[in-house]
Order: sequence, then C-alpha cells, then structure tokens
Amino acid sequence: MQKETRFQELKRYVRLDERDARLLSEFGGLAQAELPRIAREFYDRIREHEDAHAVFTGEEQIQRLQKSLVTWLTRVCGGVYDEAYHEQTSTIGRVHVRIGLPQRYMLTAMALIRVELLRIADHLLGERAAPTREALVRILDLELAVMLEAYKDSFVERIQQAAKQEQRDLGTALELAEQRYKSAVELAAVIIVGLDRGGCIQLFNREAEQVTGYARDEVMGKPFIDVLGLEDGSGHVAGVLAKLLAESREGEPLEAALRTRAGKLREVEWSLSSADAAAQGIVLLATGRDVTDEKARDEHLRQNERLAAVGTLAAGLAHEIRNPLNGAQLHLSFLKRAIKRKSDPQEMLDATNVVGDEITRLANLVTEFLDFARPKPLQLKPVSLIKTLEHARSLAEASAASGGVTLTADLPGADVELVADAAKLTQVLLNLLNNAIEAGGKSVCLRGRRGPRHVTIDVEDDGPGINDAEAPIFDAFYSTKEGGTGLGLAITHRIVTDHRGTIDVDSRPGKTSFHVTLPLAQAAGE
Amino acid sequence: MSVPPLGPPRVLLVDGDFRSSQRLASLLEEDGFCVEVVRDGHSAVRRLSTQPLPNILITELHVPLTDGVTIARLARAHNPDLQIVVLTRHPNQPLPPAFGSMPPVVLSKPLDYARLMEVLLVESPAARSARTASHG
Repeated sequence: MQKETRFQELKRYVRLDERDARLLSEFGGLAQAELPRIAREFYDRIREHEDAHAVFTGEEQIQRLQKSLVTWLTRVCGGVYDEAYHEQTSTIGRVHVRIGLPQRYMLTAMALIRVELLRIADHLLGERAAPTREALVRILDLELAVMLEAYKDSFVERIQQAAKQEQRDLGTALELAEQRYKSAVELAAVIIVGLDRGGCIQLFNREAEQVTGYARDEVMGKPFIDVLGLEDGSGHVAGVLAKLLAESREGEPLEAALRTRAGKLREVEWSLSSADAAAQGIVLLATGRDVTDEKARDEHLRQNERLAAVGTLAAGLAHEIRNPLNGAQLHLSFLKRAIKRKSDPQEMLDATNVVGDEITRLANLVTEFLDFARPKPLQLKPVSLIKTLEHARSLAEASAASGGVTLTADLPGADVELVADAAKLTQVLLNLLNNAIEAGGKSVCLRGRRGPRHVTIDVEDDGPGINDAEAPIFDAFYSTKEGGTGLGLAITHRIVTDHRGTIDVDSRPGKTSFHVTLPLAQAAGE
Repeated sequence: MSVPPLGPPRVLLVDGDFRSSQRLASLLEEDGFCVEVVRDGHSAVRRLSTQPLPNILITELHVPLTDGVTIARLARAHNPDLQIVVLTRHPNQPLPPAFGSMPPVVLSKPLDYARLMEVLLVESPAARSARTASHG
C-alpha cells in the first residue's frame, strides 16, 4: 500500500472528497465572472493596511497579482485536487514567506475571500448552497493549512540557519581563543615546554628557542632532560619529572641549569605542572625562567655591598688610627723640645712611655680590627656555663675592684652544657663586663640561666645608661668611650651571631642590661 | 688704631683624646698661649657662654656629645673674629659647609705642631698683636 502523502492526509482530515470536488467545479464555472471583482476588492483592502501594503513594489505588481489571484481562485474552484495542486499551493505559500507577508494578513485575507465566495454561493445557489458552502470552507482551510506549512518550513529553516551561524560564531571564537592561547604561549617571556607521557618535548615556545638556541623542529619529540642537559648526574631532575608524569599534580619549583645548543649553561627556575588539555598528547607543562643574568646581577650587587662595607670599615679604622698617631706625634714634638733644653729626665721618660702606650693602642686596634673583620673560625666544644661565667668574673674582678664596683655572679642552680667556642664566649662576657664596670655605676651583675633550647646571659649595671636609645652601639667604630677602639661591642655582636645567638640591650638611667641568648647546640656542619 | 688685647691669646682646645690634648696644651703654653682644654661638646658649649671668650678655637671635628661644627658655629656667633682650627681624622673628607663665610683652617691628625704654630702666628690677628706687643 502506498504511503499517504501529507496532502492526502490533510484532505482526509477536512473530509474533502470527490463530491466536494464536483460541487466546487460546478461553483467555479458559475462564479467565474465574479472572480475579478473579488481580486480587485481584495487588493483594495490591502491598500488600507500599511504593513500588508508594504510588501508590494508597485501598481504594476498589484495588477499582476490581481490576475494571479483570479487564477488562484479559478484553481481553488477547479475540482482537481491532486499532488500538482498541492505543489502549486505550497509554492504560493513560499512566495508569501519570501516577500515577507505577515501570517496574520494571510489568515485575514483568507477570511475576506471566504466571505465573498460564500456570499456568491448563497447568491447563485440559494437554498441549494449548503453543500457547496461546506466544500468551499474545506478547500479554503486546506489552502490555509498548506500555505502555513511554508511559514513553518521557513521558520525551521531560519532556526537551523541561526544555529548554524551560532556554530560558526562559536567556531570563530574558539579559533580566536586558541590563537590567543597560542600567541600567549608563543610570546610569553618564559620558557614553556610541553611534555608528553614519555617526557618528550611536544611544545617548545619562542622563549625556549631563544634561551636554548635550539629550533623547535630540532627538539620536537625528543626527551626533555637529555636534549637540554638538565641532569647534573644526581638523577634529581629525572626523579621529579618521573614522579610528576606518574602522579599528575603540581610540582615543586625546581632549579636546574640547562645546556644551550652552544654548550653554555643557563640557570633556570622551572615550575612543572600537569596540563589539563591533552592537546598533542601534552601531559606536563614545564615553564622556566632564565635567572642567569638576574643571579649575576644579584652577585654583583652583593659584591658591591661587601666592598661598601669594607670601605666603611676601612674609613673607620683610618679614623681610629689617627688619635694614637696624634698622641705619639705630639709627645715626640714635646720630647724633641725637652731634649734640646735638657729637661727633667723623668718628664722625658713619661713622654716616651706615652708614645709606647699609643703604639700599643695602635697594635690593639689593628688586632681587634682583624678579629672583627676576619675572625678565626669557631672552635666549638661542649662548654660548662657555670665555669665560663665564673672564669669571666674572675678575669673582670681586678678592674671592678680598682673601679670601686661590686661585681656579683648569679649562677644557674644546675650547670648547663652548651656547644660554643669557650675562648670567644669568655671574650664576649669580658667585653660586656668591662663596659658595665666602666659605665659609671656602683654594681655589676652577671647572670646565667637555661631555657628549653638556649641559655641566656645578662650583664647588668646601675650606671647612668646609654644616652641615645637608637645609637648603633653594635656598629664598628661607634664609640663614645674615651680610649675605646670602637670595636668591643661590634666584636661581641659578631661572636654572638656567629654562634647563631642574639644580643640586645635595655637601658635607662640606673639600669642597663645586655641580654645574650645562645643556642644549646649548634647545627651540624656549622 | 686698634687696641691690642691684653695678655696672651686665649685658646680653647676641644678634643675627646684628653691625654694628647693636655700635651698639646703644654706645648702651646710654652709658646705663649693661654690654653683651656675641654674633652666634650657640653663642656665646650658651657665654656663658650662665659667671659672672657677665647681668641682661638681648636676643635676636633668629632668630639663626644656633639660635633666640632656646632661648637665652631656657636663660638663664631659669640666672637665673629674668632680664629678656628679644626682637627680632623678624615683628611680626605670635605668639611661641612656650616662654618659660614670665614672658613676655618683644617689640620689633620696626627698634628704637625710646627704647622699649627705657623697657622696660629701667621694667620691670627690676635697672635700677631701678641707678637708685636711682646717684641715692643
């Protein structure tokens, strides 16, 4: 059985049968003379409506369309409703769609025509008009249905086109994004290397080319580590890479020098991360920053700072040397004069003693300067805190007694052993004790205590205190003490920090306290 | 006609290195100067606010509790004709510009005593007057 066409199905739905066809054919013959009038009135009505009228290009077209309408009316009332008929109606519908005739006008126009035809039928057939009227209603609805299909087809087509356009736009956007991504990768000022699961290079950006000197096609598909000579023999880089390739996660920053095509080493800070987009089989992205020049600059800067510090120290030393030299010089001037006039020998002897003193002062200054500027390495050994404190106290006892200062030691209840350089530790305590004794007070206290991981040593005096709380008292050659080298506290500070300890001071009139902390143990290898 | 000052020229010597200052003072006194020695800025300022004012100020650039520039400025304010000699342990460093229109003589340590005498005798009006007076 042949499949029912859409038109056949529609005809069956409205019950347009052979009898209707015959009635319509008869009606067509009777109404022929009336049809041009219907067409004319039809287009006159359209002229009253702007949107509907807007689809026409001119009077000539309207004349032509009026004729077409007559032809159509003749066809509708022709009695032959086959597939050819259906095709012609579809064509008219498509024309309506093409010229942009709004659907509402097509429906209302059909109402207009329906009213006219029914009126004519009533007029011509009188009481016999009913079956013809039914046939007319059926065929006209059928017409409408078919023509509306054209709108539906057009609508679907438009949606499809819009979808296609959207697809095209999306494609363009994707392409654009990809291009941007590519150029971002390409033009980035960092080395970007994409690696596949085997650790072979699948992406090599311009910066990578520039730093390594390799062209992209020379390294594509080759093992990352081998090509760039990243391995220093320890297997570290390979280990990190293998782990990342296996586990696919963010890696730790990695410093590994690469060997350029020309054989030069460049220091590179790498950061390795898993690649989500598995384009070209890339599973790992290695981004690297060439820090060779930066490091050289830093080193240069450090060197400059060292030189500046050396300059400051040298200037300080030159400054300090001139006072003893001046003292010696003036006493020599005096001696010259005294010898000429044969002065009291005792007076001359005193002057030569002073010159000797000044020379000793110079020698001490130079020794201390070296102690500070280039100290001997620490001789670390287990040291008893109590013994060290007592030893320092006994050494300072004489100067305390001669200065009329009472020196007391406040020792810990149980002895504490710390790892330190005993001689240097004694030097620290002696420096602090002598400063305290000379601070202008009446008593000095040396106190030692242990903490969980460190010992604290305090040296307290009841003198007038340090004038300027902000004074850089631990700086070399900062001294307000007459006859001081200006290095005592600088050396003290250096010894304490060499032991990874800290030293600070609290000072107010009547109480000045130097506070030293030292770790109980020294880190291995230091 | 200017009236020559009475008595020997008065020198105020300011230096933290006290023993050397005393030796310098003894040499100057033998050579006819009347010298007072102070060892820090506070004492210098105190001395400069009492009469009679010195004719000559010899000060170290770095003295405890203040600096030679401050002392010299103060002394100059009290006595615009004051002769100033600055002793420095930084001979290569330029002097601060705060000394005003009459720049001081700068001598570096170790001090050449003969050079100091030259400066004091040749350049000091007070010293010249003293010499003229003593030589009749």
